[in-house]
Amino acid sequence: MKIHIGETQCRGCEACLLACSLLHEGESNPALARLRVQKDMTRYTFHLVFCRHCDQADCVAACPTAAIQVDGRGAVRIDQDACMVCGACAEACESGAIFFNEALGQYYKCDLCPDLAAPACVTICPVSAIVLAEAL
Amino acid sequence: MNNLHPPAGGWMGRLLDVDLTSGEITRRSTAEYSDQILGGRALAAEIAYREIPAGIDAYDPRNRVIIATGPLTGTLAPTSGRLLMGSLSPRIYPRPWYTHSTLGGWFGPMLKYAGFDALVIHGQSVRPVYLEIREGQAVLRDAADLWGMDARQTQLALKDRLGQEIQVLCIGPAGENRVRFATVQHAEENAAGHSGFGAVWGSKNLKAITAFGIKGVPVHDPHGLWEEVRRFGTYRISPNHGILFHHGENRKKKKPICSQACTFNCYVSNYGETVDGRRIPGQCIGGLVWMSDHNMEHTYYTSDQLVVPAGQNFGMCEEVTLHERCNSLGLDQWFRLVIQPWLIACEAKGIHSIRGYPIRPRDVFWFDNLLDDLAYRRGLGDLLAEDLCRVMDMLEGELPAELIRLGRELEFAFGFPAHREGRFWDEEPLPFWVISAMMYASESRDPTIGTHQSSLLLADFMIENRELARRQFRALSKKTWGDENCLEPTFENKSPVAIWSQNQHILIDSLPLCDFAFPQLVRSMEDRAEWERSEDISGDLDLDLRLYRAVTGRDCSHEEMVRAAERAFTLERLMLARAGRSRVMEEALAPHFRLPCRADGTLIDAQGFFRLLDEYYTARGWDLEYGWPTPSTLSKLGLADAIPEIERLKKELI
Repeated sequence: MKIHIGETQCRGCEACLLACSLLHEGESNPALARLRVQKDMTRYTFHLVFCRHCDQADCVAACPTAAIQVDGRGAVRIDQDACMVCGACAEACESGAIFFNEALGQYYKCDLCPDLAAPACVTICPVSAIVLAEAL
Repeated sequence: MNNLHPPAGGWMGRLLDVDLTSGEITRRSTAEYSDQILGGRALAAEIAYREIPAGIDAYDPRNRVIIATGPLTGTLAPTSGRLLMGSLSPRIYPRPWYTHSTLGGWFGPMLKYAGFDALVIHGQSVRPVYLEIREGQAVLRDAADLWGMDARQTQLALKDRLGQEIQVLCIGPAGENRVRFATVQHAEENAAGHSGFGAVWGSKNLKAITAFGIKGVPVHDPHGLWEEVRRFGTYRISPNHGILFHHGENRKKKKPICSQACTFNCYVSNYGETVDGRRIPGQCIGGLVWMSDHNMEHTYYTSDQLVVPAGQNFGMCEEVTLHERCNSLGLDQWFRLVIQPWLIACEAKGIHSIRGYPIRPRDVFWFDNLLDDLAYRRGLGDLLAEDLCRVMDMLEGELPAELIRLGRELEFAFGFPAHREGRFWDEEPLPFWVISAMMYASESRDPTIGTHQSSLLLADFMIENRELARRQFRALSKKTWGDENCLEPTFENKSPVAIWSQNQHILIDSLPLCDFAFPQLVRSMEDRAEWERSEDISGDLDLDLRLYRAVTGRDCSHEEMVRAAERAFTLERLMLARAGRSRVMEEALAPHFRLPCRADGTLIDAQGFFRLLDEYYTARGWDLEYGWPTPSTLSKLGLADAIPEIERLKKELI
């Protein structure tokens, strides 16, 4: 499973961020979402920072403790118990899609919502800017 | 009182009090102001009632600017990214009184992520300042370099200075120069537009407020909220507009979104291209006006008593550019809708200049310059910046009486542009204009702008198929108001719908939610064909309550919510009484409704209008002489403390 993002379709409602933080952290907090929506007000365009769950993921290769694994759905996930919080994964990610939670002292990233049939951001996006790549 | 303290879901628990005179900024508990269940408009009314002195002008430093979020702001609840602003309005005619204005966007959520439910701003700075709020801290900073910038420039400058992730509220030159219909702007298009609060900011030397934070809004039942939104809150076409004009194409929204967490498709937004080739979003009148030439025809009205000429659509790019100019200068775009036909009417009467200033309202370049002149108060713009009603007072005797009357009718209700009153702009056949008239007569401002889904858009169904709609309305009315006749095309028994719509308006402004999505009086349907097959069109009136419960964890009933709304409405009414607003002023609206309805030609004479007031006041628990809450009504709403003041005000009014 992979998600595909069409930035030209994004309208900046941030429902994806709110759904992501709601289901992962139990609160509404875009700062803890596992993707980001950046708006350029001069041109009214949107840029989304998101994990592509790369087939040959740089973050997986960079992790010195093998704390980043690919699960059966193809989601590149961090095992927090095995993570030594070195930050090598975040440095290696070209998309900038591995974030640091200062309150918890943890790196975190998109896990494709393993408990849901489809990632929450895909389900909630009202403009189909975020879709399953397989559906294309 | 403890309901508003963390960890109750939805609330941050604190608000900021900002004294611009002393520069002192203090934190207060949100619960200090309210033990009610609502934020936004209800919270602002509680603060304003206690803190804004009676009898002062909008530009008095003691006037407050109250900026309030609600418990749903910043959450996934659909359309909840809204914000309420309350203050004395300089636009209101004949004298300023307390009113409110809402805007969508992303500032309200960011204010909560920064740790605050609301802001209370008072005093007057000696020099231009902006308020920077960042992660629980707030500081006033010098804004000398920003003063004079338009709203777009101001936001871009502050984002360059403080980070692209901040959210900004600000005024443009119109606010700085105290244009009575100056807006407070946010993002490309969002504005607290109608009430002239930009001028209040300008009088306080407050140029902007920035917010940034990374706190989360607590949610009592995250999975409950997710399920509600997933099942009922996304991909949905808002009722009425969507149903009638939808023919089975992809339901996903393609047009701009004007507020955080909006997952609805309301069909009132659009993209436009400026003359310099940029794509910008436009909602409501902007998006609608530039869709086609036909939309400007809605400004054309004719009857044996009064003619309103159509405005002029200057072409797509030109309209979009004028629209953006209003946003940048900080001008309420509704002024364009009333001033342009009035100026065209002047031309038709052979009047080509006013006080020596030439008028050319069909010339886009002249009109573009007029917007600048308004914002900077130059020439004719300086005169018109006083808004139409006051300008008519100034020009009385200089211009033909019919032009003076036209100007007054275009802003017939206390200085606000006519809207959904069945005459000048929207089709509202009987009984909808009667419902609208009751709301106009009882509220502080144009009330219809927050009641699209609660009743007024139902008119679209009646226009499309009168007999089908009446059949559907009887069932809907019985289910909602316990009487199948509340939406019958008659003049009687319309107060239940008017009061219900007003209570819904308060709830929408206080949770907050968008009135193009809530209340869900009519269910979302696939398309027009489904509507034509349906006998029961009733919607899901519990959705807002379920969202509220999931976020706050408070097991609140509909009755409690309505009581809280009625208390807030009554506080607003008490503030109107303080400003001398009473039945006498409300009876003065009668002549407007003697004009025939543009949809069906129905009208009402003065005695009939007074009967509408009698019915409405009685249903509200107000006395018939003043239209003010009776002692028993005040006591029932926990406002017995206001009884001596009301009794004193009655004596003063005499």
